Amino acid sequence: MNKFRENPVKRTLFYLVLIIIVIYLLFPFYWAFNSSLKSESQLSMTPATFVPRDPQTKEVDFFWKNYKAIFANGSFIRGIYNSTIVATCTTLLALLAGSFAAFALGKLRFRGKTPSLYIILAMTMFPQVTVLTGLYAVINALNMDAILSMIITYMLFTLPFTTWVLTSFFRELPIEIMQSAQVDGATPFQTFRMILLPLTAPALVTTGLLSFIAAWNEYLFALTFTSIDIKARTIPVAISYFSGQFARQEPFGEIMAAAVVVTIPVVLLVLIFQRRIVAGLTAGAVKG
Amino acid sequence: MRGPSLRRPSYIEICKGGIFVSKKGMSDLAKQEEKLALKLLIPAFLILIIIAVYPLGQVFYASFTDKKFAGTEETNFVGFKNYDKLLSFTIKELPPKIDDETGKQVVDQETGKKVYKSPIYVLPRKPYLYRPINTFKLFGNKYVIGSADSKFISSLWNTMVFTVCSVLLETLLGLLVALVVNSEFKGRGAMRAVMLVPWAVITVVSAKMWEWMFEPSRIGLMNTIFEKIGLGNGNIAFLSMSKFQLPSLIAVDVWKTTPFMALLILAGLQLIPNELYEAARVDGANKVKQFFSITLPLLKPSLAVALIFRTLDALRVFDVFQVMLAQKRYSMASYNYFQLISARNMGKASAVGVIIFILIFVFAVMYIRVLGVETE
Repeated sequence: MNKFRENPVKRTLFYLVLIIIVIYLLFPFYWAFNSSLKSESQLSMTPATFVPRDPQTKEVDFFWKNYKAIFANGSFIRGIYNSTIVATCTTLLALLAGSFAAFALGKLRFRGKTPSLYIILAMTMFPQVTVLTGLYAVINALNMDAILSMIITYMLFTLPFTTWVLTSFFRELPIEIMQSAQVDGATPFQTFRMILLPLTAPALVTTGLLSFIAAWNEYLFALTFTSIDIKARTIPVAISYFSGQFARQEPFGEIMAAAVVVTIPVVLLVLIFQRRIVAGLTAGAVKG
Repeated sequence: MRGPSLRRPSYIEICKGGIFVSKKGMSDLAKQEEKLALKLLIPAFLILIIIAVYPLGQVFYASFTDKKFAGTEETNFVGFKNYDKLLSFTIKELPPKIDDETGKQVVDQETGKKVYKSPIYVLPRKPYLYRPINTFKLFGNKYVIGSADSKFISSLWNTMVFTVCSVLLETLLGLLVALVVNSEFKGRGAMRAVMLVPWAVITVVSAKMWEWMFEPSRIGLMNTIFEKIGLGNGNIAFLSMSKFQLPSLIAVDVWKTTPFMALLILAGLQLIPNELYEAARVDGANKVKQFFSITLPLLKPSLAVALIFRTLDALRVFDVFQVMLAQKRYSMASYNYFQLISARNMGKASAVGVIIFILIFVFAVMYIRVLGVETE
């Protein structure tokens, strides 16, 4: 798709659109970063300044103490650690169970396929608040610890998602690939693992990243299940308990600093995996 | 152009050779395939049974009772009463207020507008007290919409407006972003990471951040900018004035979730074989034609799935309403939260949950039908 090489006008237009998109997507995040470098008095300046400035002299003046404060706060670091475990396990489990189910639903023939798809989707159609009491009862009955509770209950929104997206991908994969693999003596499961999974890499990476972020950001379940076990608090819960080292009321600067810091690992994760988003289905594989 | 590989094989093709070629014959083969399918579904359904059956069943059951949350009160079975009360609404004509002396309709001295009787005279009081939600004029008559639970009906309306607007905008923007990111340019790898930043910001924090940006004074970014370009006096109360509330929330949601749509669409674009574009180019089809004859039709399945999950999230929208509007204006889910946590009406809250469930189901079926997605 080298559409923009030929025409300089089109190319300029393309980069213009690109720049507008980047500004639109990043500006609010920049604003969070900007706010995280302001002290209470800098935050309440009118009009708001686009870089942190001293209220009197109007000189550029960064306030780093918000960052120092969050790293001095043990619960923040612990939260990052907990969130990493919870989000990673959730993603892997959802991808594993989801891709198995999706292979069956997208490529195999059996009765009851449509009902199965709808039942899986139905898992996620209630608002979280509504199912919370029921879930809490289940967690208590099974006597799970907080971390495990979060991983399992996050399946409620990640598993239907991975299953549905992957099913739509498997369905589009050419049947010939599987047939030829089978003729070559591969078992159905080998076909799945060695041929289909690599081909669906874009879908796996996409759903994996989106599930990871959903689990990383989840608040309501985490708040409920860590209410007794404070050590298991994930990032969003830890941030919501920030009491503030300097602030009189809500430590807005610290919250913004924390938001900036916890977005970085996710961005790194995307940078590592992004190549795979647009790999996958190679034209050559079909012709083989 | 589209080979037989891209659609589901017909029965004849299955007999000629389905996914798994067997020398023994059809029935054996089918059984083998069905067995494998069931095995593969075990993990997903096991998880589903553990975490979904009881909580979901409990919601359905509680919606037919007057159960209280975290209380010791006795629970009674009330049938459809919760639903009846939540969903009852009526439209009544408002009679004009007649002046006793002249026999004509009273006209307000100051505004010059005709005066009508108060809605409480026409709205039913039994079995529930109906409260007015809104009034409108049609063919010279004035009508009032009243409902037994006016907060719920307006939360339903808010949620619908929010869902339709934000999902539509997110889909269009997401498509644009995905198409841009899918083309070749320097730094596309970094662009893919940039694309996901809004989605990566923790939801609760992002709602707080936007609340700060929408501050009703020039502490907030929006008022600072609006005042600079000459709109407003720098003191627009975006989140208190009802005409700005929903547009503000939609703007936040579109920013936050466009990446979700864009990434799913980008993945869907990878399924479209490049040969199709090459063939179209040979045929002399321009970019716009290629988009409408190749990209869009082949994107339908991925788009449908993305739309289902986006709509599902939008219909359950909670965080932005709860954080930014508190109890000034409800979405269905934040009304649900209010009913459960503040009013402790677990029965009623469950009924709200079931109504959301049914709405989502309707949307999902609609997408699947309209966009022609196969489920079999």
